[in-house]
Amino acid sequence: MARTVGIDLGTTYSLIAYQDKREGRPKCIPGPYGTPLCPSVVSVDPNGSIIVGEPARRRLLTQPERTIYSVKRLMGRGPADVQNELKIFPFRIDPASSNVIRVRLGDRVFTPPEISAFILRELKSWADEYFQDVVDRAVVTVPAYFNDAQRQATRDAGRLAGLEVLRLVNEPTAAALAYGLHEKKRGRVAVYDFGGGTFDISILKLISTTDGDIYQVLSTNGDTHLGGDDIDNALQAVAREEIRARGVDLDTHPEVVQEVRKALIAAKHELSDADKATVKLPLPNGGVYFREIKRAEYDKWIRPIVDRTMAPVRQALGDAKLTPAEIEEVVLVGGSTRVPLVRRTVEEFFGRTPHAELNPDEVVALGAAVQADILEGGVKDMLLLDVTPLSLGIETMGGVVAKIIPRNSTIPASAQEMFTTGVENQTGIDIHVLQGERELAKDCRSLARFQLKVPPGPAGLARIEVKYLIDASGILQVSAHDLRTGEQHSIEVQPSYGLDDAEVERILEESIEYAEQDFSERQLIEARNEAETVLNATEKALAREQNEAPGELSDDERRAIDGAVAALREALAGRDYKLVRQFVDVLNQATTPLAERMMNRALATAFEGKQLDKV
Amino acid sequence: MSAPSITATTSATCWSCSAATGGAHFCPACGKIQPLPRGADYFGFFGLPQKLAIDLPDLEQRFHSLSWKLHPDNFVRASEDERQLSLDRSSQLNDAYRTLQNPVARVEYLLGLAGMRKEGQKKQQAPPELLEEVFELNESLDELRDARESGGSAATMAGLREKLETAQHKFESLLVDVDKELSRVSSEWDRALDSGADDAARKKIMERMNEILNRRSYVRNLVNGVRQELVTGDS
Repeated sequence: MARTVGIDLGTTYSLIAYQDKREGRPKCIPGPYGTPLCPSVVSVDPNGSIIVGEPARRRLLTQPERTIYSVKRLMGRGPADVQNELKIFPFRIDPASSNVIRVRLGDRVFTPPEISAFILRELKSWADEYFQDVVDRAVVTVPAYFNDAQRQATRDAGRLAGLEVLRLVNEPTAAALAYGLHEKKRGRVAVYDFGGGTFDISILKLISTTDGDIYQVLSTNGDTHLGGDDIDNALQAVAREEIRARGVDLDTHPEVVQEVRKALIAAKHELSDADKATVKLPLPNGGVYFREIKRAEYDKWIRPIVDRTMAPVRQALGDAKLTPAEIEEVVLVGGSTRVPLVRRTVEEFFGRTPHAELNPDEVVALGAAVQADILEGGVKDMLLLDVTPLSLGIETMGGVVAKIIPRNSTIPASAQEMFTTGVENQTGIDIHVLQGERELAKDCRSLARFQLKVPPGPAGLARIEVKYLIDASGILQVSAHDLRTGEQHSIEVQPSYGLDDAEVERILEESIEYAEQDFSERQLIEARNEAETVLNATEKALAREQNEAPGELSDDERRAIDGAVAALREALAGRDYKLVRQFVDVLNQATTPLAERMMNRALATAFEGKQLDKV
Repeated sequence: MSAPSITATTSATCWSCSAATGGAHFCPACGKIQPLPRGADYFGFFGLPQKLAIDLPDLEQRFHSLSWKLHPDNFVRASEDERQLSLDRSSQLNDAYRTLQNPVARVEYLLGLAGMRKEGQKKQQAPPELLEEVFELNESLDELRDARESGGSAATMAGLREKLETAQHKFESLLVDVDKELSRVSSEWDRALDSGADDAARKKIMERMNEILNRRSYVRNLVNGVRQELVTGDS
């Protein structure tokens, strides 16, 4: 029987998980690098092949113009929405983008759902390999605060990846499912989910009934453009200025930007446990950016970002009509909850120590796997009742929005509106559907505009009931019913942002030419590319060492490196990608002292320069 | 977005086996989920009479029990038509629960069933005894806005704030009174149903409830307006 998997399509990492029926618990599926974390990075090779995950992440350094990260930020958005992101993210938006953003990678152009589909396809190949069977049905998670367009874009990505998306589940709710299963607790729970690019807060009630356990979401709130990325960008802004003071303008050195970002992210990770972290980075002018970051200083830089999460938290609690003290458990989800300031802020607000036993990177995927099993009919005693994060409204006279489904309504939810004609022989009624909390249509998110067709007749004769229904994935359906004739109208709905069906079909047809290569074939190609890169780098480093510091390389070291190079070349002649990878690691280890000496020499030169300046 | 294909039928026979269903969620004979009859009401959906006193724990229990049965989770592998029926029924369940949970929305809904809350009949009605105080309030609000714009002295601002806060408390307690009145008339409605009162008597009670809802809507707007003004002042 075909399996249904759970997928966490994250901003920074994506994961795929399944319910292990024998053990009765969900598990993540590891990828070819042994970890279940697949970096959400996609790169287009000059030969046209698509590279996803860890090897793509390495290409951020070598081929940034062909590589993209954090594409989730672009899902379901129009070009006008992302102007702010463009200032801080290296997205190359095609000028021909209209409703849907198109991103340039090398000489090709893709929509965000297509890029996300590459990530989903990669994860699917992990599962196919793991089960030695085709996996084609999935539950995919989305930020709870995603709007209709962002949800549709995610569903389209699944379709483009050859997956039937049975359900979109909100990330904090999925986490609660995994958590509830693990802890067997009941009561009111707050899930604080601070990920790579999105922030969500959900308040849930875990209830035991005679039929089983119900996970009822009471309220949700968030910010779909707030995450660890923003912390990285804050650090980068500081570094940019300090590097400028050392005579290097990063704007004119885009190739260094990713190096800087990588070093700062490493420092951020270090600061999760340590009180200080050090950044050492050679600069293109021969200098070095050497910086010790202290925890207090770091906290000061990121405090505004952490504070931005608290307004949604207060709003969600208010909507659930609860005070912080009435929350019995607080669960932390998402990699950014490893930041000490985040933990402290949450703990102080709720007045209790938050739960963090479950791996914050994996818990969402695990929850998605549980929901997948529920839909397969495996787990029968758990039920998730989620809510819509944003109010649904229609535009009325004067551009004012009439709310027809309030935010935090349990989904599926619906509303009916009656329409009639205003003038004789009017043939259509224009309807504009929006999502958001503001009073005016121009301040809300446009979901769709469409025209209801009406048979000609005197004004006010037509009586058409339009039904808006938000399904269990949080996606809107619209249907119309002519009460006079009893006819059911089909409605041509053109989404304001996103791909229409015809476009999805076209992309699907085109993608056949980039059809999946065999999994191990692809892994072999990637491993070989990686090996070539490491071999080249080793050769260059050896030459440079010979030049700068002849005699520093010991005979033992030289033998180790030569041995590793020979072994790697031998592995390259074969077809075993695991073997190639293994010897890449061996060579990397053998060259570590060499790399460290080079760094130290660069540092010494830099400090020498400083001394000279002072003289 | 797509238009669902199935049309709700008014007939009370099962679409699958043609047995009589009596409007039940599932066919008593073959167990298939049934379309929502047109004009199905929220009270009936839960198997409740159209009474305004509702035992909330009991309603929650009914909600949970129906959620287990109707939720789309149970229909993932069913036919497309049945999936749509589950969507229709479970959305109706959630809409009904959301409405009946709230005593004010409940009255509003009941009046709507009787065709009494159409556009034009819904209005914000200023209670005559309040007119003077509302004038005074609006004056204070204007003064506060003016003072804020022209940078009035701290003492003036504090004085105006105090005035507004007093007004807010007054209107809040008024809202409580209106809600109590609504609850009293709601009980009257339930008693009228129990005693089998005639249509005219029922209509009279509904008219009173309609009038209370209009008054409530007015007072609530006042409270929200003042609250917003005070919050703006804080930030």
